[in-house]
Amino acid sequence: MDRRKFLKNSALASSLFFVPNFVKAFESVAKEQLGYKRLVIVQLAGGNDGLNTIIPHNNDLYYNARPKLAITKGIIKLTDDLGFHPALSPLRALFDNGELSIINNVGYPNPVRSHFRSMDIWQTASGSEEYLQSGWLGRYLDQYGKQPYNAIEIDEQLSLAMKGEQFNGIATNDFRVLHNSAKDPYFKNVLSHYNDTHLSEHNLGYLYQTMIEAKSSANYIFENTDLKTSQETYPQNAFAKQLRNVAQFINSDLDTKVFYTSLGGFDTHANQNNKQTKLLSQYAESVTAFVSDLKRNGTFEDTLILTFSEFGRRVKQNAANGTDHGAANNVFVIGKDLKKGGFYNNLASLSDLDPNGDIKYNIDFRSVYATILSKWMDVSADGIIHSKQEQLNFI
Amino acid sequence: MTQQQLQHLYWRAGFGMHPKSNTTISKHRASVVEALFESSKAFTPLNIDLSYLDGIKPVDLKNFPELAREINQKGAKKILEFNIAWVKRLINPTELLRERMTLFWANHFVCRERNPLYTEQYNNTLRYFALGDFRDFVKAISKEAAMLRYLNGKQNKKARPNENFARELMELFTLGEGRYSEKDIKECARAFTGYNHDFKGSFVYNENHHDHNSKLFFNHIGNYEGDNIIDIILENKQCAAYISDKIYRYFVNPKPNPKHINAMTDVFFKDYNIENLMRFVFLSDWFYDDANIGSKIKSPIDYLVGMAVTVPATFEKERDLIKIQKLLGQTLLDPPNVAGWKGDKAWIDANTIMVRLKLPSVILNNAVIASGEHDEFKKKFMTKHKGKLPFKTTPNWTTFFENFEAVSTEELQDYMLQGTVNKGTADYLQTLSKVSKREYCVQLMSLPEYQMC
Repeated sequence: MDRRKFLKNSALASSLFFVPNFVKAFESVAKEQLGYKRLVIVQLAGGNDGLNTIIPHNNDLYYNARPKLAITKGIIKLTDDLGFHPALSPLRALFDNGELSIINNVGYPNPVRSHFRSMDIWQTASGSEEYLQSGWLGRYLDQYGKQPYNAIEIDEQLSLAMKGEQFNGIATNDFRVLHNSAKDPYFKNVLSHYNDTHLSEHNLGYLYQTMIEAKSSANYIFENTDLKTSQETYPQNAFAKQLRNVAQFINSDLDTKVFYTSLGGFDTHANQNNKQTKLLSQYAESVTAFVSDLKRNGTFEDTLILTFSEFGRRVKQNAANGTDHGAANNVFVIGKDLKKGGFYNNLASLSDLDPNGDIKYNIDFRSVYATILSKWMDVSADGIIHSKQEQLNFI
Repeated sequence: MTQQQLQHLYWRAGFGMHPKSNTTISKHRASVVEALFESSKAFTPLNIDLSYLDGIKPVDLKNFPELAREINQKGAKKILEFNIAWVKRLINPTELLRERMTLFWANHFVCRERNPLYTEQYNNTLRYFALGDFRDFVKAISKEAAMLRYLNGKQNKKARPNENFARELMELFTLGEGRYSEKDIKECARAFTGYNHDFKGSFVYNENHHDHNSKLFFNHIGNYEGDNIIDIILENKQCAAYISDKIYRYFVNPKPNPKHINAMTDVFFKDYNIENLMRFVFLSDWFYDDANIGSKIKSPIDYLVGMAVTVPATFEKERDLIKIQKLLGQTLLDPPNVAGWKGDKAWIDANTIMVRLKLPSVILNNAVIASGEHDEFKKKFMTKHKGKLPFKTTPNWTTFFENFEAVSTEELQDYMLQGTVNKGTADYLQTLSKVSKREYCVQLMSLPEYQMC
């Protein structure tokens, strides 16, 4: 079904969406067409220091570059060369089970060290000298999405990653509030009178169409999310709450292919150790609870979790016991039946740094995306990732 | 001029109007337009208190990292303060058209700067040249501290040229994509080498870093500097066409009309005088065509400022003004990238449409759109928010009643909505009781039609 026809149908359905059973029947057809593999993105905003996350515990260059910042105690040694930051201990089981793949040295040519710009590059899957106005997940939705709730971000605003050329996902911090606003009787009255002849090609027609889709999405999420409290215990923090929400959606079998979450505060220019320890343990504890929630409900095997940050940090520590903005970084992929669990590749050389003293990339982040699109989402990366990228073998 | 046409002009040249201004505005097109230009002749810079930077020298920041950090944190707060000051200026402008133009140029010469001093200076440069000579404007922009930082102009040195500014100068600021070769970019970058700024944000030209050799740029050969390059770019009529197209899509209709844009290009190419171009647009018959009235989707700032022009409201926490901009997807001084906000349909997605439809009632009427039939709903909404609204505001309805005194409740929609109203919605509006002018105002603001201007 092409998108225009689909919009027509959904407009038709929307006048009936007060009859949930019909909508359910209608939407379950759409879901089968979409397939059911789901992708969860975790964005570590601020630039996580990858070198103190996955630690080269046998490397003098590491200790020399960071006399006061190198992690010396409690490293969880995973191989002869690399180990976890102590705060990542909850992830140990996933690593041992082959359910966590760590890809080192992920980045892009001519790295940009501005948070803002580099985050844009990661979210739009552009090169560093190219400005794209749509996100990679948004372009996926342009081609394969049907309704805004096919991609949900747990936030008040939608990230660029989730905005396509014609199609956007939906952002919500609290789907109950969204539903409550959307079901205002005034809007219901306006839409029940709405007459869409002559308007569909006009900007105003677009506004009404979006309003109908929003209302229908809010309604869909509310009606279909199983409110029974999860049996899993999650840590008490905002990030865990996001993941708990996502688990609720996944375990309720919502027709959502992509979820977007984020954890911020990684911009550790000063007194890094305490801050990063706190954040990494929030990350590791929350993700562990999330995975076990999914496993309990039998949904883990259809879920892939990708964690990234906009850049890594400088190898050499600064005078304030922190680190400045760097370049290549590691990326975590969590899922069942990964082709290559554990370390996907070795850490790049710490003696061969770029002119800024940062780790050089040898895996383009867009090849990670392209691999996920073709091997996990089962779609071609053409038109979504603009440059040709090699396929990796982690899934 | 009809009332709709007058409102159309005021929506595009400003942020809407209320019927009280009718008494002071003439209905004759030429004099209305002239008055707009006349009242924007003056230039009132926008300034906030930056005295905390007085006496601070670069060497202090180097020697005292603690101080540097403190200054940075203070700077971030000052940027928010400047944002709020700008929004307030747009609501109560001294020079209406100049402010509208400043907002337009801020999304043309897009720049994001975290130093409040450079931000303020840049913003006032946009304001100063907003209706002036485009040639001088581009030259001034190329020497702004904020721009030299944002597009790496200050790192552009003879030994290691940086092409970032050179590329955007042509691609986004003057000619449009694909109107130059990669070689032109390289030569252009060489001409701008040596540009820098001092601590206070003044332009500094460093001869030692400038590439004094000759450059081959668009088939011209010479020992060019940045200003020469800008002159050569402007010789190309494509520059006038590119700017005219952008102005047309912003001020007239997001759907371009080549015939009208060509006419604008001819006017603009003569002298690159922005005021003359805008006068031509506002005096043209086609500007007032029905197809153009209500054809634009309001930007979040248009929407927010326009609402305040109709019903002024004070926020208990001024920071909420920034929160609202974020929710709506446009935070002033914080553009998504050097290409700026895409605008038009891109403003609207499933989230922003719901926020837009709900916000007027939240700001102006305790989240109630239509009372009576659904007290039940209100109760539920308030329970969900634990009896609290997301924003605490005091709407000034007295001013609204004064400004709309001459208009009956039934007529309100003609003064508040631009362009076509959906047939079904118009029928529904007919059925509403309209006992309260205030309530009807909120209801009109809660329609998709209110998003258009």
